[in-house]
Amino acid sequence: MQSVPMGRRQALAGLTGALLAGGTAQAATPTRGGTLNVGLDNDAKTYDPIFSVQFTERHVLYLVFDTLVRYGPDFSIRPELATSWETLSDGKCIVFTLQEDVTFQDGTKFDAAAVKWNIDQRMDKTVNSPQRQLLEPIVASVDVIDPLHVAFNLIAPSPVLFSLLGERPGFMVSPAAWKQRGPEFASQPVGTGAFVLKQWTRGSQVVLERNPTYWQAGLPYLDRIVVHDLAGSVIGVQRLLTGEVDYVGELTPTDIRPIESRAGITLKPIKVGRWYFSQWHVDSAPFDNAKLRQAFAHAIDRDRLNEITMRGQGSVSDGPTPKGLWWYDPTVKSAPYDPAHAKALLAEAGYPNGFEYELSTPQVTVFQQINQLLQEQLGAVGIKLRLQPVASSEWYARVVAGTTNLTPTRWTQRADPDGLLYILFHSKGFANTMKYKNDRVDSLLDQARTIYDVPTRQRLYGEAQRLIVSDLPMVPLIFGAEYAALRATVGGFEWIPDEIPRFRELWKTVG
Amino acid sequence: MMRPRVMRPGRWIGIAVIAGIAAIAVAAPVLAPRDPYRSGIDMLVLPSATHFLGTDDLGRDVLSRVIYGARASLAIGLGAALVAMLIGVPIGLLAGTLRGRIDVALVALIDLFIALPGLVLALIFTAMVGANLRNLILVLGVVMWPPIARLVRGQALALRETVFVEAARATGGTQLWIIRRHVWPGVLPVVAAQFSISVSFAIFTSASLSFLGLGIPPPAADWGGMVRAGYDYLAINPAMSLAPGAAVSLTVMGFYVIGASFK
Repeated sequence: MQSVPMGRRQALAGLTGALLAGGTAQAATPTRGGTLNVGLDNDAKTYDPIFSVQFTERHVLYLVFDTLVRYGPDFSIRPELATSWETLSDGKCIVFTLQEDVTFQDGTKFDAAAVKWNIDQRMDKTVNSPQRQLLEPIVASVDVIDPLHVAFNLIAPSPVLFSLLGERPGFMVSPAAWKQRGPEFASQPVGTGAFVLKQWTRGSQVVLERNPTYWQAGLPYLDRIVVHDLAGSVIGVQRLLTGEVDYVGELTPTDIRPIESRAGITLKPIKVGRWYFSQWHVDSAPFDNAKLRQAFAHAIDRDRLNEITMRGQGSVSDGPTPKGLWWYDPTVKSAPYDPAHAKALLAEAGYPNGFEYELSTPQVTVFQQINQLLQEQLGAVGIKLRLQPVASSEWYARVVAGTTNLTPTRWTQRADPDGLLYILFHSKGFANTMKYKNDRVDSLLDQARTIYDVPTRQRLYGEAQRLIVSDLPMVPLIFGAEYAALRATVGGFEWIPDEIPRFRELWKTVG
Repeated sequence: MMRPRVMRPGRWIGIAVIAGIAAIAVAAPVLAPRDPYRSGIDMLVLPSATHFLGTDDLGRDVLSRVIYGARASLAIGLGAALVAMLIGVPIGLLAGTLRGRIDVALVALIDLFIALPGLVLALIFTAMVGANLRNLILVLGVVMWPPIARLVRGQALALRETVFVEAARATGGTQLWIIRRHVWPGVLPVVAAQFSISVSFAIFTSASLSFLGLGIPPPAADWGGMVRAGYDYLAINPAMSLAPGAAVSLTVMGFYVIGASFK
């Protein structure tokens, strides 16, 4: 650390302390200037939000673009480009009031017409945005009321809209630049965001520079952000230690062992972990046999999975939702670990002499660990699993195509319960690769997505989750633990439960 | 005149090493201090009195896994070399002794296989048929036969021109009898040397395949797979990678030294 007058530092640290709840040893005072070097296993294909699919693309998109609303650290919905909103006509119309005096990075004005263009673009069949399937069931049309007011006319009341406008469908693209640049927009995107994308060298790095005319006064603090491509967390941790990068994310509890007590490194555990579960096809033999599914569920020691794969830093999953999200329901309970009962159920299921099956094993360390432990635990009750390695690049495509059956899976949480529960467990959900269909669950999920009242939604989602967990279209396993590691000279970092790091408001002290 | 066979101490070192590893493989259940497949909640601990080589990412005893790993490695190495011999030697003998159109066709086939690097070929085949012990033995056997066939053919060609073979032919010996009585004993030392070198190549290649994720699937105690799994934890328990890596090196060198000593 450079010599900084201590009195002043501490005084300012006290002032900002409230903002940094949970942060340890972070640089506490926002400082202007500096370059933040981010290490990322980057598989970005485009930085055009309208066509974005890959998870890692959003690390950069949140810098170049602002969203209409933004997520708080508890998934609450907060103002961003929309400063406030009002619900009209029994919830079927939402009018957003927009931030004044916002310009895109190309100098054109951000207004209600730009919002309408952005949503129309995504819903236009000829544009073929992957976000059309998210918006189409919700939005009927968008109307410009005046330059600062825009109305979303909905097919039915939909609380889900807000969560969508905080992620990809909500990134506001400059209509002028999009039309002018065409396919080039993917590497030269233009938004209203705090940083301008200067250069994208695929397979190497993305260079972003401070937007001097950013609409939020005083922001951003950093002059430049460089996102370096990394091959794996082992290398990431080494580069962090040498100071080549200031940030590395997606670290497992084991990855952080070498840096746990290092001076100069701050660890930031995520608050809401990825959900890991083991799934199968419930509509066909052998897993249409409920007793067989129950035998599996009772044979799995989830505590031990957490102890070994997450060093006890994750938590046991009793259902799709972890504690800390408003739709978590403590009455949702999965089958307790009971190997004797599992053995009895296996015999009742028609397999008194044991059961053999193939377990797809993507070449991802944590899945390989989970599968080896599952094999050991299930083996103890007479369920013999053969681990079938699958290249990680092929694995999810195979899950979607239905060519795998028994496989572990993981999902990150979405800002609205509908986000995950509908796509996974509604019979029409696009990620329902378990082929699960329960009419009561369908109707509960259909109903809950059209109600704004939170207590009512809690009740509906509680019932749906209880049914899902007892039907066992999958066996819930654990909620993972994951960390970001930062040089202690970096300040202002806070996790959002979607696990996409936001670099926009970070700062860096000389160190 | 010195007799080179006696004066090669390398061979005896090689034989001693391989005998030792074979003994470990056979006596694995007695020698291994722990169950190599039993997980534990003390993951990635450093070598200590309870775990001589520490534990892996699932809390399994690394030493026990290295000991059991000798079984898979020897099975693959010896099995694949045997398969390669069973294909390569007859083809080489036939091509070298019969000559003519059969020779031209067989040499073309051999060259076709040799043109592709063994590891790449093994990768493609394994990805096609799926990795397990039996498939790996067959795949590596199929990949390794062409150099053996070429070597045997060359030796057979040379022997074919010798006076005693010509004499045998002149006295009316059948092709099969000539091969059995005169050519086969002549190529035997070459075959023995190449067998040993093939074993080392098979062990090395199967470890490479495991490292690339195409080896015997987990949780098998397999040296190549263990090197790969330990790679992520080099900074925490280096023995998890280094111990099986050293075991592969030692075994490969043992067989290679034996093979080289015949030349």
